[in-house]
Amino acid sequence: MSLPSGNNPRHAAIRRTLALRQGRDPGSGAIAEAAIGLTREVARCLAPLIGSRGVDALVSRSLQLTVPAFPWLGLTGEHGNVMGSLASFKARLEVRDPMVVTEASVALLVTFTDLLVTMIGASLTDRLLGPIWAAPAPSPEEETAS
Amino acid sequence: MNQKVRINRLVTGIPGLDAILGGGLPEFSFNLIAGPPGSGKTTLAHQLMFALATPERRALFFTVLGEPPLKMLRYQQQFTFFDTGKINDTIRYVNLADAVHSGRFDEVLATILKEVEAFTPGLVFVDSFRSVLLEASPHVKGAISPQQFIQQLGIQLSSWQATTFLIGEEPSDSDTQPIYTVDDGVVVLNQSVYRNSMVRKIQVLKLRGQATSPGIHTFRITGAGIEIFPAAAVPGDTEAGTAAPAGPLRDRRLAMGVPGLDTMLGGGLPSGYSLLVAGPSGSGKTVLATAFLAEGVRRDEPGVIVAFEQTPSQSWIRTIDDLVRSGKVGLINTRLLDLSIDEIVQRLIDLIKRMKASRVVIDSLSGFELAVAPTFREDFRESLFRMVSVLSGLGVTVLMTSELEDRYTDLRFSPNGSAFLTDAIIVQRYVELESRLNRVMAVVKVRGSDHSKELRQYEITREGIIIGAPLSEYTGMLSGRPTLTQVASPERGLRP
Repeated sequence: MSLPSGNNPRHAAIRRTLALRQGRDPGSGAIAEAAIGLTREVARCLAPLIGSRGVDALVSRSLQLTVPAFPWLGLTGEHGNVMGSLASFKARLEVRDPMVVTEASVALLVTFTDLLVTMIGASLTDRLLGPIWAAPAPSPEEETAS
Repeated sequence: MNQKVRINRLVTGIPGLDAILGGGLPEFSFNLIAGPPGSGKTTLAHQLMFALATPERRALFFTVLGEPPLKMLRYQQQFTFFDTGKINDTIRYVNLADAVHSGRFDEVLATILKEVEAFTPGLVFVDSFRSVLLEASPHVKGAISPQQFIQQLGIQLSSWQATTFLIGEEPSDSDTQPIYTVDDGVVVLNQSVYRNSMVRKIQVLKLRGQATSPGIHTFRITGAGIEIFPAAAVPGDTEAGTAAPAGPLRDRRLAMGVPGLDTMLGGGLPSGYSLLVAGPSGSGKTVLATAFLAEGVRRDEPGVIVAFEQTPSQSWIRTIDDLVRSGKVGLINTRLLDLSIDEIVQRLIDLIKRMKASRVVIDSLSGFELAVAPTFREDFRESLFRMVSVLSGLGVTVLMTSELEDRYTDLRFSPNGSAFLTDAIIVQRYVELESRLNRVMAVVKVRGSDHSKELRQYEITREGIIIGAPLSEYTGMLSGRPTLTQVASPERGLRP
């Protein structure tokens, strides 16, 4: 599994987007909902390009790589059923502490995008998925200038 | 008023492709790029797409089955032409696998048309159409047939003003009719493996309304993509403008850089001629060729040398290196063993034009024959003829060396019977005189010109070739057993 890094702009963008989607003071359920929604959006973006089966294969691999860092996810017996795996992932997130849920969600998305980077490179990955991620908040200087 | 439609040609810029297509791809044409797996179809399609796609002429690339799209994107990115900045806005990939799995041609067609309507591309690629034909079943109730699918695809995409490329293995007999009827162009790629060399070949089987370059051309795939080497066409057959120079240019003579040799040639080598220097190993062919180039540099006549020799003497390598460093001589030095003659000709033409060269040396034909892929060796003589014709058409003067085994039973000038292709021949031989191995040379022919018929002794010194006196007192030199015809003068020696 790839460890989310604060120095990696893509990892930071994933964390930022997830935070925006889950709203203020979210509970575990809202975070899980936002994580699964974002994963589906990424899948929707890639499906026309690599086919739904190609996306399913990447999601399955990402889930498999994420589980060792969060053993309580314990996803088993979902081979070939990506939607089932995601539903199971969501169900297990919802009963955990919000902070842990956020880390597991970010880890899944970071693993997925890093997996894509190893296949097609960072520039093409960013080109394809860039529009999904939330833009960074303007710096105080930029806000003052505007 | 002339209101005939004028077909716009899309110039691809892919080296050699526009030339064999007859000037580019007709806009809105429906084309087939066919060939076996690994022949370079997908690479050619991508190179075309990245070359032609612009924000105003966008491209849709449909992937079907076969190579997984992720892998395709991974590998195609290794080519320098792959511009990530064009993806999504200018170039969009669409995977058709789900539609194809439905087994219905009409559903595949509807998906393609929906994407075309949404993206309004000027270029459409379907890779691979064979997968569509094999996977979709015409037997599903209400489904259209493969013929209808291909025909409707052709009609629809032309109406949407898209230049279309179907990519895939060569159609089987059952596919052939609908595809070959509908398409405007067919380009076939191939690779032939012979012994331990592999040669890639491309042929434009059909391109409506254009004078394509007929025959099979060779190509190479490098990090920059595909580079095609159009088969050298004999000037005069195709383009009057490139015919061999006549009259005044032929009257000009080039100095050889070897004292006395110009006189033997009747006043130098006529400009635009091809000269064969034939002789056994160590007889000084490369030395003579180097002198020819060096003389050109002295006279501000740039040259080009194609070197195939593995072990020319170090001192002459230094001389050639110095000439190359002076910027007046271009060097093509190849150790590849799977060349096509067309590839060499193409590189040579490019270098001649870049250097504005008027002198060309090919050292040697024997090395050249070795470097050519085995599959081309059978046609070596014919290819050589085309090469000499093309070079002659460019107006350059060519000196070719040829390794000749010393045989005293026959007088041959080249191992492959190519002597007749050249305008002039100089032969070098070893003869035994007074228990010493001596070198002799003679001018055998200079087309349309008087020349010396003498056999002249010569030596190779640090300064180059020094031509001596004619060996007129001996006879039977070429038989290897010269006999004295008169008492040799004690003063006989080298006469510069």
